[in-house]
Amino acid sequence: MPARSSIRYAALLLGGAAILLTGVSMADAPAPAPDTSGWKCAQCPFLQGYESQTEVGALSASGANATYGRYTGIDRSGVYADVGGSGELRSASGQYANYDLEHLGLASREGTLEAGSEGRYTLRITYDGQPTRLYDTAVTPFQGNGSNLSLPTGWVAAGGTAGMSALNSSLAPDELAFDRRTIGLSGDYYASSAWTVFGELQRQEKIGTDLTSASFLTEAVQLPQPIDYVTDSVTAGTLWAGSRASLRLSYSGSWFEDQGSPLMFANPYLPIVPGSTEGRLGVPPSNTLQQLAAAGNVRLPWFASTLTYAASLGTLRQNDAFMPISTLPGAMTPTPASLDGEVLLSHYALGLASRPLSKLSLRGNAIYDGRDDKTNPLAIAYIVTDTFPGGTAITPRYSEDHAHLDGGADYALAPWVSVGVGGQIDDIHYSPGQIVSWTQDIESWGRATVSPIAPLSFTLKAGNGLRKASSFDTAALPVAENPQIFQYEYAPRDRVFSSLNGAWSISPKLNWSLAGALSKNDYRSSTLGLIGTHEQHLSSTFTWTPSDSLSAYLDAGYERLFNLQNGYVGPNAAPWVASDTERFWNADVGGRWLASSHWTVTLDYLIAPTYEDTDSAVGGLSQAFPQSWTRLDSARLGVTYQWTAALQLHLRYERETYNSNDWALMGVTPATIPDLLALGIQPYRDNVNLIGLTVRYQLGAPAAVVSSPAK
Amino acid sequence: MMCAGAQLHALEAAAPAAAPPAPPAPSPENAGYSPQGADTCLGCHSDANVAGLFHTKHARPGDPRGPFGAGGLQCEACHGPGGAHVKAGGGPLAGMIDFGPKAATPALKQNAVCLGCHQANTAHDWAASPHAGANVACASCHTVHTRTNPMQSTPTQIEACTACHQAQRTALLKPSHHPMREGKMACTACHSPHGSTGPALLSKSTVTETCTGCHAEYRGPFLWEHQPVAENCTTCHDPHGSAQTSLLKQRPPFLCQSCHEGAGHPSIVNTPNGLPGRMPSAYLLAGSCTNCHSQIHGSNSPSGRALMR
Repeated sequence: MPARSSIRYAALLLGGAAILLTGVSMADAPAPAPDTSGWKCAQCPFLQGYESQTEVGALSASGANATYGRYTGIDRSGVYADVGGSGELRSASGQYANYDLEHLGLASREGTLEAGSEGRYTLRITYDGQPTRLYDTAVTPFQGNGSNLSLPTGWVAAGGTAGMSALNSSLAPDELAFDRRTIGLSGDYYASSAWTVFGELQRQEKIGTDLTSASFLTEAVQLPQPIDYVTDSVTAGTLWAGSRASLRLSYSGSWFEDQGSPLMFANPYLPIVPGSTEGRLGVPPSNTLQQLAAAGNVRLPWFASTLTYAASLGTLRQNDAFMPISTLPGAMTPTPASLDGEVLLSHYALGLASRPLSKLSLRGNAIYDGRDDKTNPLAIAYIVTDTFPGGTAITPRYSEDHAHLDGGADYALAPWVSVGVGGQIDDIHYSPGQIVSWTQDIESWGRATVSPIAPLSFTLKAGNGLRKASSFDTAALPVAENPQIFQYEYAPRDRVFSSLNGAWSISPKLNWSLAGALSKNDYRSSTLGLIGTHEQHLSSTFTWTPSDSLSAYLDAGYERLFNLQNGYVGPNAAPWVASDTERFWNADVGGRWLASSHWTVTLDYLIAPTYEDTDSAVGGLSQAFPQSWTRLDSARLGVTYQWTAALQLHLRYERETYNSNDWALMGVTPATIPDLLALGIQPYRDNVNLIGLTVRYQLGAPAAVVSSPAK
Repeated sequence: MMCAGAQLHALEAAAPAAAPPAPPAPSPENAGYSPQGADTCLGCHSDANVAGLFHTKHARPGDPRGPFGAGGLQCEACHGPGGAHVKAGGGPLAGMIDFGPKAATPALKQNAVCLGCHQANTAHDWAASPHAGANVACASCHTVHTRTNPMQSTPTQIEACTACHQAQRTALLKPSHHPMREGKMACTACHSPHGSTGPALLSKSTVTETCTGCHAEYRGPFLWEHQPVAENCTTCHDPHGSAQTSLLKQRPPFLCQSCHEGAGHPSIVNTPNGLPGRMPSAYLLAGSCTNCHSQIHGSNSPSGRALMR
């Protein structure tokens, strides 16, 4: 693609020039400094010695489930250990070690161990556990561990769920949940005042059960899918930091491995064709991403200018063996046996910021991103849902060149008012065989910041955008896709937007801020698909700090999102119309009170409801869906008692109520839908009371040792 | 050292009424600077707010890169020469640099101090970034005189970022969200607030590279690709929060029908007639389109053409 080549060459030239400038700047002499030989820092309380804080306690939860435990790990009623701690050891010679451990009794446990020598090196080990609890209301007749799901003995297959007479007696609960565990080892070596060498090794595991589904053409089934993913990554590089320039060179590699197998599952329905008694789902293929990157900046001698640059080249590869085309007897083995996929990723960027006048600042960026899919398209004779041959199709490959330019200027008209203008252009060229060959999105804006009195300032910004697109290549549309639809990321679009941000220090003790935004997207050329969207946001925060011992806040927000779309009914027929309006509120009030030298109280109360109204109309007859809604009420109270200088007691109480009503899930049991054997997942709900008592003990009070710095 | 301007003013206001010990006279070669560096400053500014600095990386005597390392300018490395301030016995800053969003020193001048050391590493993209364009002071987010920098702890970092980015604060409270409210993920997991050559200050070059840093299972390349997955995850997902499951920008099937209107089922209108109690529809309920097209992020199955295997 000629355009891609010229962009790459231009970017390489510019990047080369930037690195050359960096080299020139390396020769710059540092500025002279005052004589500090008499500065002994004898009064400086540098840290030395050992200190630690240990937390031991228990949390008691009632009413906890997957809703509350989604990311906390507190997913059932019971008592949990609440253990954590931190500590630091630092020697006079600058050797140090510290640790920080949190939530050791929960699946969300995390910790950091760090050791090093001041100004010489740092080594770090980290662990982070992140639970994800999806649903605990799922029930399924499928049995089996690993990647082979079978149906119980005596299962009665039928053409629809109503006829599956053994369904109810076969259902068993299945928890959909997984854990993401990340362990890392990283380090920095400060080779000199200018050079740093850094590196990081990381392993991330994601293990558990996810939700998936599959069909046998006319019927479908929701399934629990075991997952066992491991991603190993390496980053290593060096950083040079000069007085007028910097350069960072790095290599990063990431190896994703799916340690599971394709999911085999029995067909709970009467097969449409003989032999279609089981299905097999693909799993994410193992892949490798490796990248080389350079980035840095050069402070130019003109107009206080800084040039920033970045370049990276990467390769994404995937060559997992294909699974058999189908479970049907006699199905062919695919040729070739794997994809041998390769995608080249490139990124080049130059930025320039300058201040030609004291009141004028200018900045701009030119960025290129390329995704070049080198994978050979394959002709695949495929089988539809393990049911019947679908013919032969060529696998599409997607490449693109994305050039981005942005710039802005701000000018201070007076000490109390400044104005700015800016804009950006995004030009994307797509490889042949895609629906459009190019899109161009141009956006411009203006803003004014006014501060009529010192404690009050607000910024008003407004702008518009225009996206143009090439004509559709209808030949590139998927089979049976309607050529009248302009897929919205590729559709011409008019966009207007505005925002208002303000802050007012009403008094030294009372502050107020406001943020509001409006935007409207109009897909003016689209007759089908997305026609328009509106977004409105308004939020405000008050903070009140009447004294050092008391602070309070009140935060509230509102957001409204609106979508309008059309759908195809038939030739010469008016389209169906669907609209969706989401409204979201939040209000949060709380504070902190140091009641005495012994007692500290914190309080937070949050309400966050969501409402969604969906409406669809055919032939002008509007039909409204039931309103979907969620509501979160959360109250948190913390009381800390400082018993002695070293001993602290902390009492925590939390009450959370979450309710939701989603018509896509409400009342959908495994047998509700004739052609979907569902998992019966119900909307999230909880009513949790959590109380915890923790003892915190400080060992080895912080050493405030007065010592002299090395000279 | 940096400190919030308000804090510094408060410190000055709270300075002890008794006269501080008389500092030694400045030597001629140090004209403009204090006579004894930090020892001079600590003679007056010795309260807990200042002492917090000595728990931080900025006050490591063994680190030659830091202001308290060998030959470092100590407090005046950041606050500028304090000779006149000392000579006046305290009071007005006399040209010294004050830090914080409400400080008398302009943000540009404050930031020049920080960037003097940090532009070379953590903030090398700062100059052309939107934060620099909006005149944001480093000390609007960072507090250097405290033991714990709010930007280095997940909950306090989120609080600091969303103090300005209030739409994101609202979004993080939506039913479907990343584990941020739970304190398990910071804004900097995805964003590089000091500047970036990626979109929206992302730490990686593209949206897709950023997302697949953790969600590597969707990285592909797949035998059968879904184009928006390869191009931009935010075509379908709103990473800051959503009322829909899986951070989707809109409820399926309507989200899918924004792009897909083929002959047959992709174009059918979905109405309340498809709800339980009427004629329950697999096109509408449970996973909607993904009830069949479950491999929506791409499929490596030879028979995954319609992303159903």
